[in-house]
Amino acid sequence: MVSPTPIDSSKENTTDKYAQGSAAEAGLTNCRLCHHLTDSREQHCQYCNAQISPRVQRSVQITLSLLITSFLLYIPANIYPIMTTEVLGDRSPSTIIGGVVLFLSHGSYFIAAVIFIASIIVPLAKMFALAWLCYAATCRQNIDKYELTRLYRITEFIGKWSMVDVYVVAILVALIQLTGLMSIQVGIAASAFAGVVLLTMLSALMFDTRILWDKAIKK
Amino acid sequence: MAHSDDCQYNYACAECDLLIDMPAHIPHRTALVCPRCNHTLAVGHRNPKHHVVAVSITAIIVMVIALSFSFISFSANGQQRDINLFQASSELFAQGYYFVALLVLSFIIILPILYLLCLSLIIVNTQYKLHFISTHLLGRIASSILPWAMTEVFLISVLVALIKIVSMADVTLEISFWAYVIFATLFTYVASIVDSHRLWQWIAQGDKW
Ligand SMILES: [Zn+2]
Ligand SMILES: [Zn+2]
Repeated sequence: MVSPTPIDSSKENTTDKYAQGSAAEAGLTNCRLCHHLTDSREQHCQYCNAQISPRVQRSVQITLSLLITSFLLYIPANIYPIMTTEVLGDRSPSTIIGGVVLFLSHGSYFIAAVIFIASIIVPLAKMFALAWLCYAATCRQNIDKYELTRLYRITEFIGKWSMVDVYVVAILVALIQLTGLMSIQVGIAASAFAGVVLLTMLSALMFDTRILWDKAIKK
Repeated sequence: MAHSDDCQYNYACAECDLLIDMPAHIPHRTALVCPRCNHTLAVGHRNPKHHVVAVSITAIIVMVIALSFSFISFSANGQQRDINLFQASSELFAQGYYFVALLVLSFIIILPILYLLCLSLIIVNTQYKLHFISTHLLGRIASSILPWAMTEVFLISVLVALIKIVSMADVTLEISFWAYVIFATLFTYVASIVDSHRLWQWIAQGDKW
């Protein structure tokens, strides 16, 4: 193998590592916070002083580990009650799925569908999407970068909407405290579910979409 | 902008890292998208600084109103209960769910206000050449907290909660709720004008003086 004499030692071998026309290929690092282009040899952004690297380091590993933790937390979030309603001393705990079933049995199909989508479909879809992105970025050869980037954007956008469940519990718990008549207590699943949302959002933020665009040139 | 002079490109796409020559002027309400991955890089606006500072300060005042009055009132069997916005978090805290209480308080009240405050301070700082606080630090704070501000999500949650209980009691939306609706609208509006390209352009302008 004969490679042309490198003009700059730091720019050696970068051409086949990064996508054509990218800042990293040109020996520049794009700061994720302020978008200033700094020489790739620097450890800190020359403009805002944030720590930088051409690509988020160990992006896939960090994304995956946060994802697995959030998936493990998703289990207690569904098994344990998210809140307990107490009417005249009669306590009835309700889980997330229990809420959906309750609305279905009352014939309120629309509300049941809203809760089912927001608290079950969205978090699971988000986790599968992130897992798929990690898989595509590391193990697959021919990937549709444009579609995957779009998948990432959707995942990032819907991330915070899973908090709906936690806020609904927060409002109900604050509002329904009628002494001796009716009250609502938070359940342990609320903590678990808030953890799931927090971790999946962090996981999405840690995923660096630029590695998808770097892949194409490896033929 | 304070970008490196040895390179003809002054910007790189955040999502695909493509080098881009950013135009100095973007037409009003026109989105500039990355030619490779379609990521929205910046959106043009005629007079963004005045807009943002005016709307941000209005939103902060509206938030003060939202925090001062009662949010929702609820009555059943002759008992009545009023709650304010803080109680959405403090009641969780009182029941020992500190982690959830902290998240709720941050996402719906603290971080949105902090974001608007940072923006206002950056604009005032760069416009009047004041240097009482580092605009670079403010910019980093503003850029980091934006994904965690959830005003609109909270608003939808209030409606979902109301649907759940409206059949068993009388529920009234009070002043604070409407103030929060206005706050969320203004916040979303500001966040749609201030893309991070523009934010850091302002900060760089401030450096020149
Ligand atoms: Zn920076
Ligand atoms: Zn791009």
